[in-house]
Amino acid sequence: MSNIMIRAENISKVYQLGKLGSGRFREDFRYWLQRKAKADTNSTLADQNILWALKDVSFEVTQGEVLGLIGNNGAGKSTLLKIISRITSPTSGIVMGNGRVASLLEVGTGFHGELTGRENIFLNGSILGMKKKEIDEHFEEIVDFSGVEKFIDTPVKRYSSGMYTRLAFAVAAHMDPEILIVDEVLAVGDAEFQRKCLSKMKEVSTKEGKTVLFVSHNMQALKNLCNRAITLHEGRIVDMGEPEKVIGNYLKKEKQLTTTLHFPDIESAPGNESIRIMSVELAPALLPGQAVPDIRTPLTISFAFWHTDQSRGSLIVGIHLFSISGEFIFDICSNGDLSATGLVEGSCTIPGNFLNDGAYYISIVFVKDTTKRLFYYESCLSFDLEDYRANTAWYGKWKGSVRPDFPVVLNVKDATNS
Amino acid sequence: MQKQTEWKWKIQSETRWFRWNLSEIWQYKDLLNRFVRRDIIANYQQTVLGPFWIFLQPILTTLVYWLIFSRIAKISTNNIPPLLFYLPGIIIWSYFSDCLNTTMYTFLQNSALFGKVYFPRLIVPLSNVLSQTIRLLVQLLLFLVLYFYYYFGTDLVHPNLYILLMPLLLCLTAAFSLGSGLIISVLTAKYRDLDYAIQFILRLFMFATPVVYPTSLVPQKYQFIFWLNPLTAVIESFRAAFFSATVVRTSYLLLSVFSVIALLTIGLTLFKRREQSIMDII
Repeated sequence: MSNIMIRAENISKVYQLGKLGSGRFREDFRYWLQRKAKADTNSTLADQNILWALKDVSFEVTQGEVLGLIGNNGAGKSTLLKIISRITSPTSGIVMGNGRVASLLEVGTGFHGELTGRENIFLNGSILGMKKKEIDEHFEEIVDFSGVEKFIDTPVKRYSSGMYTRLAFAVAAHMDPEILIVDEVLAVGDAEFQRKCLSKMKEVSTKEGKTVLFVSHNMQALKNLCNRAITLHEGRIVDMGEPEKVIGNYLKKEKQLTTTLHFPDIESAPGNESIRIMSVELAPALLPGQAVPDIRTPLTISFAFWHTDQSRGSLIVGIHLFSISGEFIFDICSNGDLSATGLVEGSCTIPGNFLNDGAYYISIVFVKDTTKRLFYYESCLSFDLEDYRANTAWYGKWKGSVRPDFPVVLNVKDATNS
Repeated sequence: MQKQTEWKWKIQSETRWFRWNLSEIWQYKDLLNRFVRRDIIANYQQTVLGPFWIFLQPILTTLVYWLIFSRIAKISTNNIPPLLFYLPGIIIWSYFSDCLNTTMYTFLQNSALFGKVYFPRLIVPLSNVLSQTIRLLVQLLLFLVLYFYYYFGTDLVHPNLYILLMPLLLCLTAAFSLGSGLIISVLTAKYRDLDYAIQFILRLFMFATPVVYPTSLVPQKYQFIFWLNPLTAVIESFRAAFFSATVVRTSYLLLSVFSVIALLTIGLTLFKRREQSIMDII
């Protein structure tokens, strides 16, 4: 059985909320007096405005294991990493460990703009806990890896942000810890940088047998890198085990997006004197055993509305799809000649293997007589498509808004060796 | 589940009083060295005069003090050439106040760094004091140049054996500023108002320190209060060493040494005790 590298026992962390102001000193003094009066601190703490960032978190990590931490913002992931990195201390509980820890909560911590790349490699390396000798040994490799050898004696404030990040990551990648703690580094930098980052982590954990604690929102990367995953929710561990399973459960629970809207009461329904919405719905056609829609999943949008506009001309209903950042992906509309008033139903299916992974929202537009806009039902539905890749070693973000499924075809015209 | 009793490290909520863990500082000596380098290199980047500022500051201050306090206000300098009299006081005072001013902002100015990576926090104030000390030594060279000019040119200055106390005096100043700076750094992290108060007090404190006047001008009944200030002992001993114009009582010097040791002990203890929990309130 492999060695236990980290053991956390019942760690809890309390943060005091409330504003820091002029009353602060009086408040502290009162609290201090109270604490002196009764030995039981728990009862006084309960009175205060407090937040349990972590509550009774226990787990173990064995050598060579890559443990992924999942949870939405405020679930306590970063607090947990900060405690293990010794940046802040737990309110109660204990973390014990074996081996040198290096935390990578940010790349380029302590970089100084006025200093040259060379000086910063040494400064940043020392801050990350490397000895001068180790940095000397790895210096050439770091410079090679970063690809900024031409500018190594230029102050880093003159660097482009890409060069800066590459240099910073190069230093971090050459640390030699036994336990590595990584927080969301993948969120920064371009695709190329993220790929480098991930493959380095894979290398570190598989080839060198290092223990890694890893927080990310990149589920694809988590699935591929981790041996085990933990889901945190409001400071507690709610799920632990096989990454595939844990991630599926998490996505199903957390990504409750607007997929159905029903308005039984016509008075309060969205719309105006021409159009009243009755319902809108988005139904994914999931494969057996699939928890959440991914890029393969066809999505059917269906809607029903009251058409009460008496004016001449035919009604056209358009569906606008936007990415969550507001890029307009497509605009499709109904054809045909609809002029009758009354209850109208409609539907539209976005095929699978068409959109790229990401978050999207849909708006529905109602137009009369080709130009007259009756009603614009803005961002009524939203959904999230998970990534799906089979047999690939590439976990970076797939670029583009769409990812249609037609291949690039290659033919060998003239084989040089047969 | 495998039971393990040997752990290399433990993280718990309580930090025991008096656990300074100075051996850890030694492990991080490379970082200390890097921080000192960074301070010295980065400080004078993109300035026209560069490191000459180290000389320029005391020279200009001395000239201004000479004009105001000696020429206009006619405050006695105990027959010591005024320029020579003011310079050491100015150098030591600015060393003290620069060390204090960097140490007291340890948490506020490094919160981004402290929030991302662990290293013994004491490295930061120590590196500040060390880089200030390098500045101080360079400035003392300036003093020596001026001193030799008067020593060979006139018959006004005579050194004596007090000179052997010089390293002690400099350590005393460093420890005084570090000790008080550490205490203030912990307090200002929580109560920001203190920052304003300290700046104000520091300005007044300069006049309670014999920078522009000799302690002999202080009336006898206030003498004891003046000597409670460790900087009085430092500056007066410095003058005694190079000018032989005054005598410093050993009891006063010992008093300063003990009070500074006490202050440094309190500072280190408080700092080590609070260094982690402070990160939650910044």
